[in-house]
Amino acid sequence: MVGSNSTLSRVSRGLYLLILTAGALVMVIPFFWSLSTSLKPLSEALVFPPRWIPHPFLWKNYVLTWKTVPMGQWFVNSAIVAVVVVIGNVVLDSMAGYALARIRFRGRSLVFFGIISMLMIPFQSIMLPVYIILRALGLINSYAGMILPQLVSAMGVFLMRQAFLNVPHEVEESAIIDGASRWRIFAQISLPMVQPSLFTLALMMFMGAWNNFLLPLLVANNQNFWTLPLGVVMFQQQYYTNWPYLMAAAVMATIPIAVLFLVFQRWFIQGISTTGLK
Amino acid sequence: MGTAVMLKNTEKRGGMEHWRRQETAAAYMFSLPTIILLLVFSLGPAAYAFFLSGVSWNLLNHMHWVGLSNYGAILHMPLFWTSVKNSVIFAAVVMPVQTVIAMIIAVIMNQNLPARPIYRLIFFFPSISSSAVTSLMFMWIFNKLGLLNGFLTAVAGISGPNWIGNPRFALSAIMILNIWSTAGYFMVVFLAGLQAIPRALYEAAAIDGASALQRFWNVTVPLLRPSTFFIVVMGLIGTLQMFDQSFIISGGTGGPLNSTMTIALLIYQEIFSYGQVGYGAAATVFLFVLVLGLTILTNRWLGKPIEY
Repeated sequence: MVGSNSTLSRVSRGLYLLILTAGALVMVIPFFWSLSTSLKPLSEALVFPPRWIPHPFLWKNYVLTWKTVPMGQWFVNSAIVAVVVVIGNVVLDSMAGYALARIRFRGRSLVFFGIISMLMIPFQSIMLPVYIILRALGLINSYAGMILPQLVSAMGVFLMRQAFLNVPHEVEESAIIDGASRWRIFAQISLPMVQPSLFTLALMMFMGAWNNFLLPLLVANNQNFWTLPLGVVMFQQQYYTNWPYLMAAAVMATIPIAVLFLVFQRWFIQGISTTGLK
Repeated sequence: MGTAVMLKNTEKRGGMEHWRRQETAAAYMFSLPTIILLLVFSLGPAAYAFFLSGVSWNLLNHMHWVGLSNYGAILHMPLFWTSVKNSVIFAAVVMPVQTVIAMIIAVIMNQNLPARPIYRLIFFFPSISSSAVTSLMFMWIFNKLGLLNGFLTAVAGISGPNWIGNPRFALSAIMILNIWSTAGYFMVVFLAGLQAIPRALYEAAAIDGASALQRFWNVTVPLLRPSTFFIVVMGLIGTLQMFDQSFIISGGTGGPLNSTMTIALLIYQEIFSYGQVGYGAAATVFLFVLVLGLTILTNRWLGKPIEY
């Protein structure tokens, strides 16, 4: 139904725009409602039927929320975990992806299919054994416990393998003839050529680690290690009636990922279009 | 790279073999960290679950082997069947609905309409937000005195229920949340699939006098099958293992009256509330089998390559 302007009648164009607009409203209303609630006094938040515009705008809800719970600590924890996970995936996934795409070696197809099969194992279904392994390794209540299980990803290896497959062979050949080591060829010649994929990978891994709820729930019993999603949920279980504060915390937790998304939207979409995964 | 390159690189006889060994060593050096981490935190745990499903253990006492009796125990546990029922109903509603919505929005979005990038951004945005944040937002919207009931009162004069406090509505509330948060993501996958459909096919169909609806049904839907297959499989896996939203919205209980208890939440409770590692592992294996079985069925149904 790609039809050109001339065949697409005005009526159907109007109908399409109406459907899209209605859908878009459904998508954004929850966010605007959270924003609105986060700026209200508690008494006004509980008025029924609900009112949209806060009166007055209570910006200090944000300050008070920040002071009531250790949001700063949660931010730092989330940032530490997400940054290390991004670095780990960028380095390790691209190394493995490079080997699978570029080096002929014994056992390559076994390694490749082993990694691909792990695409089908989502974390929820292995949380119990992973928890027991982390516990046996003494990684409960540690950053390492929240980082190591996310440090490489089968999807990332797959994405990087595809990227390296698209680098022309000729680029590497002269270096091979000159006797350059695989490491030098990888780091100095091939890696710079897959920068777009590397960047997409970094964004997707940042988002995954930043938003992860279940792994921190398993690992961080001690609230010094809570990340933002876990902290915000635990906050809700303590102060479950103070919706303005809760919404302020939710808004603050969303801002970093929202900014990243708005700036790099194209790369997010590209990542999904090439792998189908987030 | 050609053999000539390798030969140039090596002078002695047997140099080729030497070069091959060097390459294999390099490849394993490159992939070893990944292989180890995936073995320890992904494939290993999956295998370990099978072993743990045969033991009686509460994390503190001595583990002892009980064979298949954990399976017998969970199959006689009403709560287990409640969780299976909830997960299956959840998947059976959410997966088709989100797939259909994503496909329709993607097809509309693929038209030559104004402001497409803005619409795409808006539809996609919920799927990059964390489950923790979206669950909290929807708990507030689903509140007895919340936005949804306010809307229902204003538009239809209905006094809405306390969605998440009422066992009849709690799971439906989570379904709505889930569809809302994933439809836009799958829409982007469909959009990528739509770009791959040759334009000429639509033109040919239009010349043959096919209406827009006929073109959608006879060209778009069949040719989108690879995307649909992928989305159905990902949707099945995602919905059957749903955990975060149930945990957050029910405060970890799966309530009210176990109406939001899913298989994944039951597994969590078996470890952290009941200390029954063996039961949890048996439920884990059950979940594997359920997901794998449904994935294979889907593959039979949608996984065939396209014939033009």
